[in-house]
Amino acid sequence: MQNGPPIIGVSPAIERIRDLINHVADTGLNIVISGETGVGKEVIAQNLYQKSPRRGKPFVKVNCAALPEGLLESELYGYERGAFTGAEQKRKGKFELANGGVLFLDEIGDMPILLQSKLLHVLQSGEFAPLGSEKEFKTDTWLIAATNHDLEDEIKKQKFREDLYYRLNIIKFYIPPLRERIEDIPHLINYYIEMYTSQYNNRSILQPNSRILQKLSDYHWPGNVRELQNVLKRVLVLGTWDEIIGELDYNSNRSTNTVSHEPNQAKTPQFTPQSLFFENGRAPSLESFSLKEIKKTALDKIEKEAIAYVLEKTGWNRSRASKILKISYKTLLYKISDLGIQPPLT
Amino acid sequence: MQKKYKILIIDDSEEILKTYKKFFNKKKYLVSTASNGLDGLKILQTEQNDFDLIITDIVMPNISGVGIISIVKKKFPNILVIAITGWGEHPELLASEAEADLVLEKPIDLMELEKRMVNLIQSKTDQHL
Ligand SMILES: Nc1ncnc2c1ncn2[C@@H]1O[C@H](COP(=O)(O)OP(=O)(O)OP(=O)(O)O)[C@@H](O)[C@H]1O
Ligand SMILES: [Mg+2]
Repeated sequence: MQNGPPIIGVSPAIERIRDLINHVADTGLNIVISGETGVGKEVIAQNLYQKSPRRGKPFVKVNCAALPEGLLESELYGYERGAFTGAEQKRKGKFELANGGVLFLDEIGDMPILLQSKLLHVLQSGEFAPLGSEKEFKTDTWLIAATNHDLEDEIKKQKFREDLYYRLNIIKFYIPPLRERIEDIPHLINYYIEMYTSQYNNRSILQPNSRILQKLSDYHWPGNVRELQNVLKRVLVLGTWDEIIGELDYNSNRSTNTVSHEPNQAKTPQFTPQSLFFENGRAPSLESFSLKEIKKTALDKIEKEAIAYVLEKTGWNRSRASKILKISYKTLLYKISDLGIQPPLT
Repeated sequence: MQKKYKILIIDDSEEILKTYKKFFNKKKYLVSTASNGLDGLKILQTEQNDFDLIITDIVMPNISGVGIISIVKKKFPNILVIAITGWGEHPELLASEAEADLVLEKPIDLMELEKRMVNLIQSKTDQHL
């Protein structure tokens, strides 16, 4: 990764983004990257970092939407021992950890307003104080923020501080949604087909023909490049484009921003950390946490979902399913009973 | 006027660019224009350290005026920069922090702007004499 993860695409918007990266990566000026979910905001942040003189220094990411206010504050600034009940050890915050490097503030639009004031203060003074600390520390971090909200809109709704907005927005990147740069789609497909083919035992994906490409270009892609990746992975499992295209919901061809797209038919495998580690939506207790266990559970789960998916797609034709999955018929029968995969009730 | 001053104007409004350009051309300045920060920066890079002064809007797509000021002061410290802020925008403070040589608020009186430009350029050349 000499220059960061590749930014695939030939659209004027993408060309322009590459150009902008090359012109500002060495400035260390605050940056905001905006665009819908899955358009590649983090890819841009990584590229900026890799092309900057700070490359090799820390790249620290904080998701401002993932933590409640109090936790986010101590995550960012750290705390002294005894700063609050439970603070038994002093802990470094991300600002300190990112010193000399990049602090990537993801989902900045979700930062609570009180923390926005504190962040503004840090940006103005170049100093921060850990919770419970009397002293302020100098910080030398390059701030790159990302958002899929329209921050100007948030300002009008008084959810985002205007002064902070101006201070962050010294340079701004806007990545248009995939549906507005469909000329990038074939290039992304080629790139990811090649990548997945080598990753998954050289299992091959058929190149889409022009009719399929047309369908892909007409689609709305609410989840943008990430959704395209998921589509390609499903094509890889099924070995055919038509069924996958049939699942895409062309009726939802309206902008719904952050909502990720769920196909409406067969439940497709969704491998998020939550779905893998969390039973019934609850995290395992720390005592019973074991990487080995997690690995086994995760693998079982993936296998189960993948097999159930293919079975459903083939109408429980086990012999066809075993061919698609490239396992023997006997192994498939064994796995069905071992993993407790249930046929539909009809 | 003895020497022809060379200036770069950056603003995302075509209307404003046209007006400025016409005015300064008449006054015998050599005028280049750009409609956003990135294009402005590219002009600076290709034409090197050749400009006497830049007039830049502050709120713009891609590289803001504040960004332009910071970059210019670092890479082309000899070029003077005048920042122009719009109504109801509050980044004047940022522009001065970035060390703009002058920050003016819209609406702009072009005659006045030109006078102050000449003053800036001349006081700088005086310093160098
Ligand atoms: N132009 C591109 N070329 C190649 N891969 C891309 C491109 N854009 C996005 N991707 C890939 O798509 C996936 C999603 O990108 P990324 O995580 O950067 O999106 P994001 O805008 O940060 O989304 P979110 O708002 O959901 O966090 C990543 O795997 C990324 O590598
Ligand atoms: Mg992201």
